[in-house]
Formats: sequence, structure tokens, C-alpha cells
Amino acid sequence: MPRSIWNGTIAFGLVTVPIKVYSATESKTVHFREVHAKDGSRIEHRRICSKDGKEVDYDDVVKGYEASRGKWVELTDDEIAAAAGSQSRRLDIDHFVPADEIDPDYYERTYYLGTQDKGKDAYALLHAALEKSGRAGVGRWIFHNRERTVVLRTLGDVLAIHTMRFADELVDPGEFELGRVRRKPSEREIKMAASLVDGLHTEFDPSDYEDSYREAVLELVERKAQGKNIEPPEEVETESADDLLAALEASLAKA
Amino acid sequence: MPRSLWTGSLSFGLVSVPVAMYSGVVDTDLHFRQLHAKDHAPVEIHRYCAEEDEEVPYEEIANGYETDDGDMVILTDAELATAAPRKTRTVDIEAFVDIDDVDPIHFDHPYVLVPGGDSEGAVRAYRLLVEVMDRTERAALGRFVMRTKEYLVLIRARSGRLTLTTLLWHDEVRPAKGIPTPTKRDKPARKEVDQAVALIEALACPWDPDRYEDAYQKRLKKIVQQKRKGKTVEVPEAEKEPSPVPDLMAALEQTLADIKSR
Repeated sequence: MPRSIWNGTIAFGLVTVPIKVYSATESKTVHFREVHAKDGSRIEHRRICSKDGKEVDYDDVVKGYEASRGKWVELTDDEIAAAAGSQSRRLDIDHFVPADEIDPDYYERTYYLGTQDKGKDAYALLHAALEKSGRAGVGRWIFHNRERTVVLRTLGDVLAIHTMRFADELVDPGEFELGRVRRKPSEREIKMAASLVDGLHTEFDPSDYEDSYREAVLELVERKAQGKNIEPPEEVETESADDLLAALEASLAKA
Repeated sequence: MPRSLWTGSLSFGLVSVPVAMYSGVVDTDLHFRQLHAKDHAPVEIHRYCAEEDEEVPYEEIANGYETDDGDMVILTDAELATAAPRKTRTVDIEAFVDIDDVDPIHFDHPYVLVPGGDSEGAVRAYRLLVEVMDRTERAALGRFVMRTKEYLVLIRARSGRLTLTTLLWHDEVRPAKGIPTPTKRDKPARKEVDQAVALIEALACPWDPDRYEDAYQKRLKKIVQQKRKGKTVEVPEAEKEPSPVPDLMAALEQTLADIKSR
């Protein structure tokens, strides 16, 4: 049984849907600990006062915001939590949008919503209506001292929310300068590249892709544990294609 | 200009495009620091060897992996890099997909790719990829290794640049099994569904990300200002959570009527 991380109520208009929130994702990275290289002993992170260089007890630590250089405004956890306002147990849905208009960069994390003991009929109704309308709800959610816009949708039999980034958090890619070129890519080069793209076109199925690196890292750990030497690989020069057309032609010939 | 997080090349057939990668996200959150209570001196985190009780410089820190038997296997960064030497320097484009086929549950973090260098060859190859992805409206699927993790990535053309979005692997998405859902008895009546859909349509609008702002951060800034001026911060009492409505149909009708009379 999964453990819920938040309990609250979805409200749209006068309709309320009591829900529990569950993480829909988890990291499967191989985790390492920081160790002292020479003997593998544990590394501890200690809090050191920048003024007297002595260790600071956790009870003597407060939170501060640097209002101007060197000038700190101290805030208690309660004061920080006050920013959540009084409606911290509600997830208000304000309107409904076509989900396919949303750029992928806005999506941050996904959570499943489960029912509470009461109000299961309201959950079922919201699920059925979202499915039928083909739209996704947009609302606000405050969780762990952060506010997020959320997109509410159906995912099979369950309701799910995606936390979304705010527009001002996203970088406009157009702000990055591109170097000048004497010759733009020619029509012929573009057409050849397009047929390469077509040749590699496939329907996306996430289960077609496995993280083979995890295995490789665990094998490496195994080899090292057996006392084997680990040789650094030879440096391979990556060359940029100076003759684009020739590289494209060769790629197409191989495909 | 921020520092690039990764440099390497995109490999597309036999075409290789040198690129540098930057984060596509800026941090707009207000950040707090740990301070020493008595004099507000910032607290720093230092690394100490638990055995010797001495501070350890960063260069002497390695990656430890604890085996099931409790043994600690030590790997340096250089040794770790041998796990997948090619992938740590190259994003191999394996396929091209329609972005609509990718469920948003997989989207992780956005980045921006720029040409790695100003050479004519690098910039031309980059521009060619932008142009062809723009025209075909497809995204490239590839994978690479950054620090100690392999990522499945989507590369797209946006605003004349290439952007990269990391994706979660399929086994990083948990199954929804075990999440409590309504039973058959909770199935809504058709009339209720129609009424709820009517409510959704009444609140329908296009997706416009600019209309949402972080009200929490705004309030937090205000609280910091109040505190700075020596005012006390009022902690609002939490409102009671709304209780489930006894009559769904009545709630739907009343809400619809409220919207229409706005």
C-alpha cells in the first residue's frame, strides 16, 4: 500500500472532492555516499560558524534572509509557513484547458490522487467529467512551503496532478546567442536530414528504453570490490562534421 | 552568462554536432540561509572525516557504495566515468518521435543546447538540426550520462534553438496500483456527469501560463519586509477543510448558476 504525502480537498465551485496525494515517480539512480578516498570512512557534514569557525549546534541555528549585504532578517518556521495563507488544505481548480496546448517544459512532477473515506462519489464524478470533456483542470496547490500551479487530469482509473513551473521560471531559448555562419544549411542538406529523421521515426514506447548505465555502474562496483584495476578509457576525439553534406550522404547510405 | 552544465556532442547518423548545455529553468524562489542564532553569522557546511575527526578537502572525497554485506567499495569520479565513456560525452540520437506520444508524466527537467564553439562547422550542423526538427515537427530521442546518471532525453527545436528535456525512465514511474479509487457504487448518474461537463465547459479557457503567478513567494516577500521593519508577522489560522457535499447535483447546479450570474 503506497503512503500518502498530503491530505486535502479539491474544490471547484461548490463541489468538493476529498483526496489523498501520492508520489507517482521515484528516482532509480544508483546512490553513492561521500567517503574519504584513502580509507572509505564516512564523511559528515558539520555546521560551522563562518565567524568563529566552531561547530554550531542545531538548536543554535536560525533561518535568515539577506535583505542587503550582510544584513539578515531572521524568520521562524511559523513565519515562513504563514505565507501559505489560511487555505493551505485546499486545492482550488479555477478553470479547464486543453492539455495538448501545454509545452512540456512546464511540467515538473506528477502525483496520483486517491480517494478518502468520504466523498468517493465526488471523485468518481470529477473523473468521469474530465474524461468526457477531454480537458484538464488548472489550479493552485501549496505543498512543503511552495506554491505550484497544478494541472489535474485522469490517468487510467485515477486522477493525477502535475505540478507546473511558472512562466517566469523558464528561460527563453531565443536569448542564447548563436554564432554566425557564412553559409546557411542548403535546401539539399535540409532535405537529406529530413529523410534521415523520417527513417528514424518511431512511435514512442517508454518501455523500449532501459537505463543500462545503472547496470554498468553496479558491474563497475563489483569489479572494484574484487580488487580489479579500473583503466580509464582512451580519449576519443569527437570531430565536428566540417563536410555536412558528405556526412549526411554517408548516413543515408548506411540507413 | 551562466556556466554550461555539460558539454559534448549530439550524434545524428554520421553528423556530429558539438553542444554546450544550460539549464532551462531559473530559480525565482526566496532562499533562506542557516545563521548562528547569537550573532547572525552565516553557518557553513564543512566535510569532516568521521574516523579522524578532521576536515577533508573536496579533492579527497570519493564515491562510496555499500554492498549488501556491509563492505564499502570506493570509486573515484575518474573510475566512475569508465562505466559508459561514450555516453558521458555524446548524446546518441536513436529515434525521432511525435511529442504528443510522450505522456507528461515522463517530463523531468528542461535544458537549452547551444553550439559548442563558434566554428562554421559546429554552428552550421546545429542550424541544420534546428531547421529539420522545426520542419518535421518531431523531437529527437537520445540518451547520455551526466554526473552519475544516465538520462533519456527529448531534443526539440524552439525559438530557433535546440532544447533538451530529460525524461523519467519507465520504471521510475510508479504503477497506480494500490491508490484508493471509487467503487462501482460511486459511479455517477449520467445527468450528474452532463452537469459536471457543463460546469467544466463554463470554466473552459486556453492554456495561458502568464496568468499564473507565485502568490506564495509574493506573500513571503511581504512577510520578510514586515519582519525587517520590526513588525510582528501574523500567522493566519488555518481554515477548516471543506466538508464533502451531501448533494452533488445541487452543488453542481448552484455553481453553474453562480458562474452565469457573474
